[in-house]
Amino acid sequence: MLAMIYRSTRLSLLGMLLTTTLLGQQQADAENCYLCHDLPMLGVSSTDGGMRNFEVIAGDYEHSTHRNVICRDCHTDINEFPHPEEVQKVDCGKACHITKPFALTGYSHTDQRDSHAISSHGQNPKHSDEQNAKKPDCKYCHDNSFRNEILEDDLSKHSDHCLRCHEGEGLAGVILHVSSHSEHRSASASIRIVELCSSCHADQSRMQEFDVNLTQVAGYENHFHGKALKRGLDNVANCVDCHRNHLNLPATDPNSSIHANNIQMTCSANTYCHSNATARFSTAAIHSEPTPADNPIPFFVEWGFILLTAGTMAFLLAHILLDFGRWAVDAYTIRRKR
Amino acid sequence: MSREFLRFNLNQRLQHVFMFVPFIILVFTGFPIKFPDSVFGGWVFAFMGGIENARFIHRIAAAIMIINFVYHVLYVLYNLIVKRAPLSQMYLLPTMKDARDIKTNLRYFLFLSDERPKFHKFSYIEKFDYWAVFWGMFIMAGSGLILWFPVEFSRLLPGVFIQIAYIAHSDEALLAFLAIAIWHFYNVHFNPRVWPANKVWYKGTLTEEEMEHEHPLELEEIKAQEKAEK
Repeated sequence: MLAMIYRSTRLSLLGMLLTTTLLGQQQADAENCYLCHDLPMLGVSSTDGGMRNFEVIAGDYEHSTHRNVICRDCHTDINEFPHPEEVQKVDCGKACHITKPFALTGYSHTDQRDSHAISSHGQNPKHSDEQNAKKPDCKYCHDNSFRNEILEDDLSKHSDHCLRCHEGEGLAGVILHVSSHSEHRSASASIRIVELCSSCHADQSRMQEFDVNLTQVAGYENHFHGKALKRGLDNVANCVDCHRNHLNLPATDPNSSIHANNIQMTCSANTYCHSNATARFSTAAIHSEPTPADNPIPFFVEWGFILLTAGTMAFLLAHILLDFGRWAVDAYTIRRKR
Repeated sequence: MSREFLRFNLNQRLQHVFMFVPFIILVFTGFPIKFPDSVFGGWVFAFMGGIENARFIHRIAAAIMIINFVYHVLYVLYNLIVKRAPLSQMYLLPTMKDARDIKTNLRYFLFLSDERPKFHKFSYIEKFDYWAVFWGMFIMAGSGLILWFPVEFSRLLPGVFIQIAYIAHSDEALLAFLAIAIWHFYNVHFNPRVWPANKVWYKGTLTEEEMEHEHPLELEEIKAQEKAEK
């Protein structure tokens, strides 16, 4: 209970910090890109025949994660005005003009990009180009929505989520985090992360193509973490808590966070998780549906209970119906006799 | 005013209350987790102020139920060992007569005879209720405690026990709920011969007519005893 009060005080502090830093933000459009991109429904017909809207709504961009990054920090191939119709896709690994606090080096997402490249989601030469194209890139998950408006309710939810990791760092850590804007500002709520991963992993045909376990999402939703999350407990393990955010590797890979050698460390990594997890605790399969081949004991226990329940209830219901039937017939015939 | 016969003393009636009050609370706080998509479960959790409160309440109710069960076992042992009650007076133990009663009752239900079984203190229906709860307590309390303290139990047991406990707790809960809501409620409320309710759970006594109807052999025994004492 004390921890709760402490937490909420810190939350309101965090909220205050966020709002004050927003007022003092720097101008993102130093190079006046809004001259054109401010025009409503600025449309360009794309090569695939559709129309794309290139309007950047200033108010929305200024509430986004990248509001302090000037346009050409990411769109680096634009060097003239007006720029060509076709411009390169943004490479998230490029360094931008934001400096890392205290390190004073240019900030970039190379660490994340490199981890992603060697993860299961990275481009794999064993897969066809078509298959590789289906894998999520940076922007699939980080949709960098310009409509990332700060709402009071969302803020409290999100900062709750931030504090899960930053609790140990104390208020100083939170101030650094908020003031720098160099790391993620609004980590998504767990339920959003599960939705994001499920957008591909719940798609059976898509997973079959990559030979990925088909019961992952359903299994998660049927077990402790998924159920608690559905009922509103945010500080429960979501996908990336165990499978990492960028270095997602299969359990067979010795570097994987869910490899048999590492799983205990993964369960106990955070103080808000199972910090005292034992090796045996960590072997409990948390979201696979048991099958007779890979997990026979739980499989047969489950079926034992299904048969026990069905059998018992069938007998009890039959007894009730027969009892009621006899009473009803007797009551009817007695009335008739009168 | 007809004569009243004591069926359950206050101690026994309170044991029943301390069983069913936590049971109802456990159902309301547990089933929204068994069925995480149910809208009704969402209302229940909203009323309780969220899943964390519900989990807390669930564990308090579970503790009360487990203490009550331990008390009941000690109560039976006390009667057997200290008060030296003979085993023959443990009327809840299943006997061969129960099998015959089931047969007689089924014949009656199927209009093969008009004879109804004559019960002593406890019919096979009541014995089933008792032993179902007895078995259920071991399954629910055992698996529930493993789920409450998974890391601690993993020091003693392999990890697969956490999975087994998860399955057993969830599945046995459904069986227990169905048995109570359908079977027990039919026998003590909705059965037209009982409707609207069997009041013995708080009155503790039965009238002579009720005794004649539901427990004729017990009534005979009591009357025979009284005759012998005169």
